[in-house]
Amino acid sequence: MSKPFSVPVFPAPLPQTPGAEGNGASNAADLLDDPAEWPHFGRPLAGAQAGERWESHLVIEGMHCAACALTIEDALRAVPGVEQVEVSSATRRARVLWNAGLARPSQWLDAVRKAGYRALPAVDVAAREQRLRENRSALWRWLVAGFCMMQVMMYAWPAYIAQPGDLSLEMEALLRWASWVISLPVVLFACGPFFSSAWADVRHRRISMDLPVALGMGITFGISTLGTFAPEGLFGREVYYDSLTMFVFFLLTGRLLELRLRDRTAGALEALMNRLPDSIERRGSDGGFSRVALRRLVQGDVVRVLPGEVFPADGSIVAGNSRVDEALLTGESTPRWRTVGAQVSAGSVNLEAALEVQILRLGPDTRFGEIVALMESASLQKPRLAQLADRVARPFLVGVLLAALGALLWWWPSDPQHALMVAVSVLIVTCPCALSLATPVAMLSAAGALAREGVLVRNLQALETLAGVDTVVFDKTGTLTHDRMALAQAELAPGWTQAAALGLAAALARHSLHPASRALVAAYEAMAPGASPAWEVLDASETAGRGISAQVRPAGSTDVPRAVRLGSAEHAAVERPDLDGVQVSLAWADGPQAGRWCAHFALQEDLRSEVPSLLRALAAAGIGVQVLSGDGSASVARVAERAGIAQWRGDCTPADKLEALRALQARGRRVAMVGDGLNDGPVLAAAHVSFALGSAVPLARLRSDFVLLSGQLRLVGQCGLLSRQTMRVVRQNLWWAAGYNALCVPLAVVGLMPAWLAGLGMAASSLLVVTNAARLARTLPPLHAASATPSLPVAAVARA
Amino acid sequence: MDILYVLIPLSVGLVLLVLLALWWAVYRGQFENVDQEAERILRDN
Repeated sequence: MSKPFSVPVFPAPLPQTPGAEGNGASNAADLLDDPAEWPHFGRPLAGAQAGERWESHLVIEGMHCAACALTIEDALRAVPGVEQVEVSSATRRARVLWNAGLARPSQWLDAVRKAGYRALPAVDVAAREQRLRENRSALWRWLVAGFCMMQVMMYAWPAYIAQPGDLSLEMEALLRWASWVISLPVVLFACGPFFSSAWADVRHRRISMDLPVALGMGITFGISTLGTFAPEGLFGREVYYDSLTMFVFFLLTGRLLELRLRDRTAGALEALMNRLPDSIERRGSDGGFSRVALRRLVQGDVVRVLPGEVFPADGSIVAGNSRVDEALLTGESTPRWRTVGAQVSAGSVNLEAALEVQILRLGPDTRFGEIVALMESASLQKPRLAQLADRVARPFLVGVLLAALGALLWWWPSDPQHALMVAVSVLIVTCPCALSLATPVAMLSAAGALAREGVLVRNLQALETLAGVDTVVFDKTGTLTHDRMALAQAELAPGWTQAAALGLAAALARHSLHPASRALVAAYEAMAPGASPAWEVLDASETAGRGISAQVRPAGSTDVPRAVRLGSAEHAAVERPDLDGVQVSLAWADGPQAGRWCAHFALQEDLRSEVPSLLRALAAAGIGVQVLSGDGSASVARVAERAGIAQWRGDCTPADKLEALRALQARGRRVAMVGDGLNDGPVLAAAHVSFALGSAVPLARLRSDFVLLSGQLRLVGQCGLLSRQTMRVVRQNLWWAAGYNALCVPLAVVGLMPAWLAGLGMAASSLLVVTNAARLARTLPPLHAASATPSLPVAAVARA
Repeated sequence: MDILYVLIPLSVGLVLLVLLALWWAVYRGQFENVDQEAERILRDN
């Protein structure tokens, strides 16, 4: 079977685009106009005009703060045919919705280039190379600035300590000349990005963080050069090479660390996205295996996955067996044993032996593909607080420029040189970057930490909402229990032991798939593991919903078989026992003992082991818990009682649930819904925040804000704790950024802040914000910690 | 102290040489995978 063309596969390498710099850039962009390339960095949107509307992802180079993100958004939106644009300053990624009938990728890529930035399609190979280049050049600029700073400081030292007359004029001139030479690489090379980005700002009549910084650097270097070569001029003979190189070094240190932290924070998401191999061994028509690129695979191909390799697609095993690590997709850390016929998912790792796998689903259709699509769209959303910061950033920068100008004019009449240096300090000390990074960085670190535990955040905004939740509603009993029952109690007739009764019941139960039957079999196997069956069962038959009838005789004997029944009391024709839970009776149906019961078993829903600690943690955090279930009231009551939940309702229709939810919300409660994410669309949508324990459900159909891939209920509590921590960090960051700027700008305006200190302050404040957020990425808060701190104050901590 | 008139220009040249060495190190990837190289000595082969 051959197919005319391959299904869109991702992520697949782009064709090499040599010389993508400068003139070559437009050619590379033209290549992307080929519709065959589009699936590699985006996907078509379903809907009325299928195949017309596309969603594409870009990596943006040269972006430094929130104001840049706004500029790029504006530039992209101005292109006809581009319908929707989201640019994230934290991840430097852009999402573009565009209409293939009206626009081509080269047009909007060009728009980004004209705005002064470089856009690359977000395909992994290209993105990875770009990351490496970016890291290397950041490190290189930092080393140049650092080393030159040390040297300049050495040349400046004699002037610091010299008494009048110690230093001859020639010697001083020589030292200044040497400082000037060593400062040149710093200004021309290490500051390059600041200047080019500021120049782009000027040309496009807009403003970003780099404009004041570049102005400050330019002015300082200008004054110092004049002081060196024209000491008799207006600006006197003072030089500031030491201040200049030091604050460039501090700024670059900040940027470098920020870059590293961002890489690590994005690491959890990136690890997910960069997971698939580039190539794989495929079985050809001659039966031999040859290595082909991932995008050449089609459905139905058989591929060989070697130990240590990652499965490229969803498929079923046709040969071999091995242990498979599915941690990334399910959060389940123990490797699973997989044999012929078992399903494997793209993105999981083959650990032990080579497997041959027939491909069932490829690319975006795989579970892995769904997860990646979810993560990509989630990491782009701007939380409300971040939007606020973005709006503040631009007027703030205008204010800073005006303040610098004001300070300059005020000091000019007394001392032009001092006036310029004060203006420089004002320009440098302000840090709107800290303000605009405060929220997105914290939310992304949190999302990264959750992703490692198998929790997908579909909507970053939800983290903010979750922090304020005070009621958790479980919309199914099944979310609190395993989807199986467990033997709770057995009542035995005289003459029977539990082992004997259970052995006979299990022998019958093996012929049925009813949950109660499976519970009996499981209970017997747990009691006597590996025991050979004590009974031979002949012609077993199941009456649906009632029970099983069969003929049995002791194993190995040739006795006349006896009729026996297992099931409800009516089925077994015995009196109803007085037991709690679902009852199953075992009784002889013929012979002298006909109608005499042998044993009654009581089965109960198997409460998940993590439920008690989850409920304790929620209670400790001041969060109420309710159950609104569609199951019968009796079983809901049983589960609620065993879990210790006081408020419950059974027999709810979806309309009832919606009504109950609305009633809660009308009383001012903020509600999180936990369900399987499928059946209760309107209910999930109506809740403030929703969780889905979706392990077997197509993710694209889930409507919830959080998806717990591993189905571990404790993560609901941990998400809640983490969201509170996240909001605490966001508030700290915002307060810090606002307080820092409020304190430092006035100090600089009155001339109390030298340029080097201003540079240090700016770098440190940006860095502090990012480091504070990176705390969230470490591990999820453990549940038991919650009980140690009874109340979780969400108070802002401002440090001045 | 006249020697300083030679030594200072010399130091400027030296700085440029050191920068060249740093450039070589950065672009040959000497600073990538720093952790991995440190662990290499603990491996058997």
